Amino acid sequence: MTSITKILTHAFEKDEGHVHIHIKEKPYSNPYLVGVGLGLVLLAAFVIMGRGLGASGALSTAVAVTVNKIAPKHAAQNNFYKEYVGDETTNPLMDWLIFQTIGVLVGGFISGTVSHRVKKGIEKGPRISTRMRLVYAFIGGGLLGWGAKLARGCMSGQALSGGAVLNLGSWVFMMMVFVGGYAAAYFMRRQWI
Amino acid sequence: MKKFLENLTTNQKLGGVALVLGFIALFAGDPYGGTSIKVNEKDLALSTVGNADKISVNDLADWIIKDKADFELVDLRSEEKFNEYSIPNSQCIPLTQLSSSELLRNQKIILFSDDDVASSQAWFILKSKNYKGVYILDGGLDAWKEKVLFPKAPVNGIKDELDQFEKMKEVAKYFGGSVQTDSSITETKTQIKLPTSKSSNTKTTAPTGKKKKREGC
Amino acid sequence: MNAPFFKFEYFNRDVSLIIAFAIGIAFGIALEKGGFGRATILASQFYFTNMRVLKVMFTAIVTAMLGLYFFSVIGFVDLSLVYLTQTNMLPMVVGGLVAGVGFVIGGYCPGTSVVAFATGKIDAVVYVLGMIFGIFVFGEMFPSIENIFNSGFMGNVTIPSYFNLSYGLVVFLVVLMALGAFAAAEWGEKKMSEKSGKEKV
Repeated sequence: MTSITKILTHAFEKDEGHVHIHIKEKPYSNPYLVGVGLGLVLLAAFVIMGRGLGASGALSTAVAVTVNKIAPKHAAQNNFYKEYVGDETTNPLMDWLIFQTIGVLVGGFISGTVSHRVKKGIEKGPRISTRMRLVYAFIGGGLLGWGAKLARGCMSGQALSGGAVLNLGSWVFMMMVFVGGYAAAYFMRRQWI
Repeated sequence: MKKFLENLTTNQKLGGVALVLGFIALFAGDPYGGTSIKVNEKDLALSTVGNADKISVNDLADWIIKDKADFELVDLRSEEKFNEYSIPNSQCIPLTQLSSSELLRNQKIILFSDDDVASSQAWFILKSKNYKGVYILDGGLDAWKEKVLFPKAPVNGIKDELDQFEKMKEVAKYFGGSVQTDSSITETKTQIKLPTSKSSNTKTTAPTGKKKKREGC
Repeated sequence: MNAPFFKFEYFNRDVSLIIAFAIGIAFGIALEKGGFGRATILASQFYFTNMRVLKVMFTAIVTAMLGLYFFSVIGFVDLSLVYLTQTNMLPMVVGGLVAGVGFVIGGYCPGTSVVAFATGKIDAVVYVLGMIFGIFVFGEMFPSIENIFNSGFMGNVTIPSYFNLSYGLVVFLVVLMALGAFAAAEWGEKKMSEKSGKEKV
């Protein structure tokens, strides 16, 4: 873990010289208009596919497939891995969510490039070291990965997609994310403000 | 009024649209389509149960043996009769409960009852609710018994017919029935024992082998 | 035409993967334009300084909800064929709380971390690694927490069906709630910026 942060920190510092010579980035769009756009994308997914959007599912499949490659016997005993690996009749990597997530990667890059917002950097408040920020990023990612799996979905799969079809569990999940977030916000204030 | 609209910001306009649509939703009814069905009477009157909407009992037997699972087999009779005997892999949805059933519009649905009357009725109900792939089992359970469970041996059959009959024997055996030879038919008719539902219907509770892939995160 | 198209087999699985890619691109663009590729913006939601997350998310939910509702009422979309995640109350409450804490600590949620990754944020790379680790830990723990994972099973249940309200009424209430939240967010942002402005002077 520390070696990873070191490498990444190093990579970041090396690049610091370039950071200041970029074309001025465009401001972000009106949130309500973006929201309508995002809502229409979600609606398209419902109408065309009959399902919502997702994100964490792609990583789960990747993890399950990897575990299955390394220790097939171990994976076969575990219902969680088994569900993502499937019954071998179809390639688990030819999955809707995996392709959708690759699309998100491409879409994010396109939009960022057009608006001159693609640049190497680390998102953090002014009062925290780069290394601590990366440690927190890892811990936060771990918690979200774990929690999203327990709750059968993440912000996209549950809150957004489930929210639009008025799924009871999704709304509960969404409220709990806000509760958990606001409860932990005070302790994390050094990282952000 | 026009000036008022022009003075609104984009955000206010968006909010207004949402509010109006939300308000209409109050009165627009149930999106799950449970309460109000719009029936196009003309279309319905013109549509009749054609041959294309019928499935023969032999085809069905073939599909079940081959473990084809791309259809829902619906027994429209009462639960009592269903428990007594029904075609393997079928589910019991009495005609009166059809509208509240969990059949999905994209499924291939095969309806049957003792004969064709109830299944034709059910066919019209489902068609009027915009179900696409609705079929009826030609001849119903009566035909199933006669042709699949207890087929009669051909009298003085030519070779082809006899070959055919050998096949039918196997099919009958698979479903727990038996073949009736010409001589036995009159005596045994009353004694025909239907296969007990326990042995033939064990599959109804088990998953039908359809792959239900997760679609969530 | 009947929707959802895929469920009526207007196209096959291979085509659906191309559609997945296309929808993903649109999703990525929307998230990036919304500013969701930056952890500082996402986290500021929890300090009431910038309510973009709430605004974008609720507008998206309201838009998709209204669209889906009216498409279903006119008989274009068969809502019973639209996927609903089953509700398991306890794991969703616990999972939601853990995910919320993780959101503030990590600064991203899974979808936004991908966008941040695409726009060169190194912390997002670490975040994704953390998420993979978290999923792996969950997978390894799964046999022992399978009971909890499956507890509180309620099936496919929506707010209208659970509270026995009409679907249209809930749609209306969600619109009202969202508009109220937006008004509060705008007001709160104004107050916060006034406050910070005064402090600076």
